[in-house]
Amino acid sequence: MSARDNILARIRQNRPQASALPDIHAVPFIRYDDQFEAFATLIRNLGGDAVQLQDGQSVADIVAARWPDAGRTVDLTVAEHEEVDDPHAWHDVDVAIVPGQLAVAENATVWVSHPDNRFRSIYFLTQKLVLVVPREAMVDTMRDAYARIDIAEHGFGAFISGSSRTADIEQSLVMGAHGAMAALVIFV
Amino acid sequence: MKDDSVKHPQAAAEFLKDRAQAKWHDSAIWWVRQKRDAQAKQLPEWEELRRLAREIKAHTLSQLDDYLAQFEANAQNNGVTVHWAADADEHNRIVHSILAARQVKKLVKSKSMLTEECGLNPYLEQRGIEVVDTDLGERIVQLRHEAPSHIVMPAIHLKKEQISELFHKELGTEAGNNDPTYLTHAARANLREHFLTADAGLTGVNFAIAETGGVVVCTNEGNADLGTSLPPIHIASMGLEKIIPKLEHLGVFTRLLARSAIGSPVTTYTSHFHQARPGGEMHIVIVDNGRSDILGNEDFYQSLRCIRCGACMNTCPVYRRSSGFSYSYIIPGPIGSTLGPSRDMKKHGSMAFACSTCGSCSNVCPVKINLHEQLVLHRKKAFDQNLLPTGKKMGLLAMRFLTQHPALFDLGGKVMRKVVPIIPESLTRHSAWSRAGRDLPPMPAQSFKEQYQQRSQNKQDKEEQQ
Repeated sequence: MSARDNILARIRQNRPQASALPDIHAVPFIRYDDQFEAFATLIRNLGGDAVQLQDGQSVADIVAARWPDAGRTVDLTVAEHEEVDDPHAWHDVDVAIVPGQLAVAENATVWVSHPDNRFRSIYFLTQKLVLVVPREAMVDTMRDAYARIDIAEHGFGAFISGSSRTADIEQSLVMGAHGAMAALVIFV
Repeated sequence: MKDDSVKHPQAAAEFLKDRAQAKWHDSAIWWVRQKRDAQAKQLPEWEELRRLAREIKAHTLSQLDDYLAQFEANAQNNGVTVHWAADADEHNRIVHSILAARQVKKLVKSKSMLTEECGLNPYLEQRGIEVVDTDLGERIVQLRHEAPSHIVMPAIHLKKEQISELFHKELGTEAGNNDPTYLTHAARANLREHFLTADAGLTGVNFAIAETGGVVVCTNEGNADLGTSLPPIHIASMGLEKIIPKLEHLGVFTRLLARSAIGSPVTTYTSHFHQARPGGEMHIVIVDNGRSDILGNEDFYQSLRCIRCGACMNTCPVYRRSSGFSYSYIIPGPIGSTLGPSRDMKKHGSMAFACSTCGSCSNVCPVKINLHEQLVLHRKKAFDQNLLPTGKKMGLLAMRFLTQHPALFDLGGKVMRKVVPIIPESLTRHSAWSRAGRDLPPMPAQSFKEQYQQRSQNKQDKEEQQ
């Protein structure tokens, strides 16, 4: 027998007693009166920030005001954007502006998948990550989020909350471990 | 690799010699436990979440063969190659053969306790493949040629001065610059080069979804994502207990994991891998290595519900005061102290005794494993298999005899109360757990039983007087 069949046979033989699968929707989960407020308060502790686009303002205005000396900037939210043929080619991106499909109030994450760009490496190589999310695309908890996303659509998707961080040296929180050093969520 | 010949009491005594470091270790980890509590309190449904997580895992384990087969079929449909490994050796051989066939020179790895369990790094290094651990804490212990001392905070046993010295030597950072931000960003710059020049990436797996055939990896640093989005090959190694039935169940587990582990609402990145990056290939290695045996053990199979958050070690009064290196098994703390003896009682039996049976681990476990009860059962097994040191065994036998003979127990207590105060201190300081300045308390004049009888008598007298 192959390793596979051996393992499965042993598991079958060693099955613990039967146990029912619970209905995770039968339990009430937390609701937020002001989802944006909950999201924005949280993300400020996670190395990020969240703003709502005001009338007459553009995403580019906000980004330019925040990082006036930005280096290579790639905006995936516009139809005609730069594309590369190797994931390493994003290595010197300073600001990446990318679409976020969904925001979650309870933990300040944004779901990113990548229907419009070939290589997801840009989300992690960029120094500053700007996530542009439609303001109605906000849910309370991860349970609601998983009901809304199409997971296998593009082979990859991630919930991202704030900037990359670590506390591996004496529990001191440091922003900018391997991924983005700063994150900004703009609700439009 | 970890030194699996250590015995907990002796190793803990060694760790406790540096009182200042031990105190820091204790309070730093307790702080993480407090952050976990603060997060838990913000969710009214916290206890319900733990119940759901427990029930989902219990159900999955009861049909694990079916779910694994379903997972495999769906992963294959996504274009992922699935491998099965009966033990650590087979896992290492599979990973090596994938890498060797593609002439991989450098592998970047994100955190995976499974590959520590399997000893993958030395196996690959002996065969000429450079392995770079990319989680900051794991990189630090790799450069020090050590094992992680905690499953979530691998370098929690080190002070920043030690890391500064290490980085000065290995990465050329300024001597004496101990600033964590400076040191972290130096490692970031160094590891970026490795990410950009690696030929393959290997990750662990936090959750594997049977329904979709994908795996989920959670990190704060983004190292798993860089390691899998740049090189063309992604290998994900997973213990076979990582399965959950459906995508929607992540709505329970992703709410529990980071809150339990580090007291954060979520990890920075919760990444769902279903296909390789364009032009690349993705492999999943499903590893048994003793897990299916634990599944068949009625007393211990619940330990397979574990999601490796580390909350049990953060709360454990023994772990906090003895550090991960006092435990012989690669996973320390309460969960390691049941998994280790389940795997090899002879080697890891002493771990089951590194427990005060306070039960705090079971109370914080997000999947409600009966950890402290399992440790007591392992002690029984260690006793039955005659694996206890003679002194401990004789003590237990004497205690058993005494508790079965109440009159003798009373007499024994009476004698102790008279004798202990007059024996020299050097004889009472024999325990590995004790140290100078922690003498036995003064003996009471009466036993609890005598005090209780006296109290009842006094009460009765009082009532008669009224």
